[in-house]
Amino acid sequence: MSGSIGEGWFDRAPCGLVAMSLDGVIRDVNDRFLTWTGYRRDDLIDLPLASVVDAGSRLLLETRVAQLMHLRGTVDEVALNLVRPDGTPMPALINAERDDETPVVRMAVFNATERVQYERDLLAARRAAEASGQRVRVLQELSTAFGLTATDEEVARSFAEAARDAFGADETAVFLADDDGELSLTAGVNPLAGRIAPVPSLRETEEVTVVTADDLDLPQLAAALGGVGLSSLSVTPLLAESVRLGTLVCFFRGSTVFDTEYYELQQALGRQASQTLVRVRLQRRLAVLALHDQLTGVANRQLLQLTLDEAIVSAVERSESLSVLFLDIDEFKNINDGFGHAAGDLVLVELATRLTQSVRAGDVVGRIGGDEFVAICAGADGDAATAVAERILAICRTPIPVPEGVVSASVSVGVSVFRPGVDEQPAAEQMLNRADSAMYDSKRAGKDRMTMSVPS
Amino acid sequence: MTDAGTIDVLHRNNVTVSGNPTGPTLVFAHGFGCSQETWSLVAPQLEPDHRVVLFDHIGAGGSDASGYDAKKYRTLDGYATDVLEILDALDASEVVFVGHSVSAMIGVLAANRVPSRFAALILIGPSPRYVNADGYRGGFEQADIDALLDSLDANYVGWSRQTAPMIMGNPDRPELGRRLADSFCRLDPVIAGQFAKVTFLSDNREDLARVTVPTLVLQCRTDAIAPTEVGDYVHASITGSRLVVLDATGHVPILSAPDQVVREIREFLS
Repeated sequence: MSGSIGEGWFDRAPCGLVAMSLDGVIRDVNDRFLTWTGYRRDDLIDLPLASVVDAGSRLLLETRVAQLMHLRGTVDEVALNLVRPDGTPMPALINAERDDETPVVRMAVFNATERVQYERDLLAARRAAEASGQRVRVLQELSTAFGLTATDEEVARSFAEAARDAFGADETAVFLADDDGELSLTAGVNPLAGRIAPVPSLRETEEVTVVTADDLDLPQLAAALGGVGLSSLSVTPLLAESVRLGTLVCFFRGSTVFDTEYYELQQALGRQASQTLVRVRLQRRLAVLALHDQLTGVANRQLLQLTLDEAIVSAVERSESLSVLFLDIDEFKNINDGFGHAAGDLVLVELATRLTQSVRAGDVVGRIGGDEFVAICAGADGDAATAVAERILAICRTPIPVPEGVVSASVSVGVSVFRPGVDEQPAAEQMLNRADSAMYDSKRAGKDRMTMSVPS
Repeated sequence: MTDAGTIDVLHRNNVTVSGNPTGPTLVFAHGFGCSQETWSLVAPQLEPDHRVVLFDHIGAGGSDASGYDAKKYRTLDGYATDVLEILDALDASEVVFVGHSVSAMIGVLAANRVPSRFAALILIGPSPRYVNADGYRGGFEQADIDALLDSLDANYVGWSRQTAPMIMGNPDRPELGRRLADSFCRLDPVIAGQFAKVTFLSDNREDLARVTVPTLVLQCRTDAIAPTEVGDYVHASITGSRLVVLDATGHVPILSAPDQVVREIREFLS
């Protein structure tokens, strides 16, 4: 070694230097390596390198690095953690090359404490960003999905699918509560169906709850999980203002990490689904209100129109007759004048109730104007419609008590019939008009009776 | 299976077939951290009298990971499905499956699902469970596996970069160079991370007792990843299996002691 570069350049090189046997046993190290790691030379000689790194690094050395060293003869910039005698880690980057001739493995070690800390921070930031990005994506997808949904079943299905994708669950199940608070499977799959009785503590849980196949608190459930090859499940309650709407259950086969992110995302999904359920139920109620007469609760003109349109199409498809009954209360103006409008309203409500009771199951009754009602009787031919009309006439004759006295009312009825295959397919308006003019025939003939419209 | 499906599987797993087409079929499955190149010192020695099938697991080497389905590969079963699909596509029967490291267990799962396809299993450094459990010593604690996953993250950059082939000091082994391609030990860092998680957190102890095909267990004298007591456990759990302790150290005898490995394979199959 030349004097001009001074003695000890090897030991004072600004990196750790290590010589090893081909199977990774340390043969020599320089002083720099000892200074950084805190070992004495004698401690290290004849030790496998694998014994002075942490377990994660050891796994990496014995798998990835070992194969690369054999096949490629060299590795560059492998990040691993050396462990000092006092147990503290020293993050390091290593370069190594294998020389089969000598034979020796030469390794350079760079202290990477600062850099690794920085990368860890970056990594943590990236993971946090990815996690929150994923959460936002899932919630956005759910919002879109629910924006179009109208029924509980559809919400449940969207929710089950979104949860399966977001959590990588093997199966998901959404249970919704009925009016009595009983939970039943509404969407998804329950792999434990029939294998275990419902677990009340899980059905009533107010927080995201995880159960694994080795859970000691719920041995029966744990056994049932194992019995179908599942490793774990999580239960997320769907609550709205502490009212239990249902639960979401995610089932997993492989090992799954239930970390804080998992719980938070489950909670967020649960809240989102609960709010959506509340919203679609409200919308459904509004829709019912918008299609029904506010005074009597029977269908309004709009719903009658929709129902009749569908009934005509359906009559054609099934080749079944369809009848429309048009009813008008006789002398309703006199009732209003004699007993007052409040009594008139009572009469309308009472007659609407009687109408509803007189028609057949499945028939639709609606109020189409001030004192005019319509009944749509799918599948009813002329005879059946006549029978319904006669029942209506009879039941409406029963006097109606009101605060101001007793009202004797009656109705006039007109009937139109559509016979597919015989009659030309009418528009809804035509059927209503024909029934309406038949009703006027009843009025002209003396009221309190029915008239069958003559098919045109 | 349709023709398109066949082509997809062989392309997906970068399947290569070499050797003697009239010989028995040997399928070599690489372990964690590398690709089919890891068989470079073993497979060529068996080519003269065997049909040799090599492949890359999804995310490794020259595999096509474009259709990677995280859900499918959440357990080793997904990897076993790939093996069975490859055998299907090749219409291979009487297969001798040689699995290194985690692929030993992948072979066990595949053979348990369709035993009729397999003539024998050769398990090199197998471990049915790496994490210690009640009364079972796998050699690692959960925290160790977490540390490995961290350490994979720390090496993320290095892995995504394409590693160019470079051979040092192996003038006696020209066969190494022949097989080296651009895909050399390349790993998709994301899939590799998930593979590591699935591998090192798996528990396939119960699958060992279900093995019905003749099985050889090759175990190194010392192995930090699959210690000798794990090798003994595998041997004891597979009825009728044979255990051979190789005079080698480390977890990759297929590279550090390839001649011994070949000798034991030949002796077991004869």
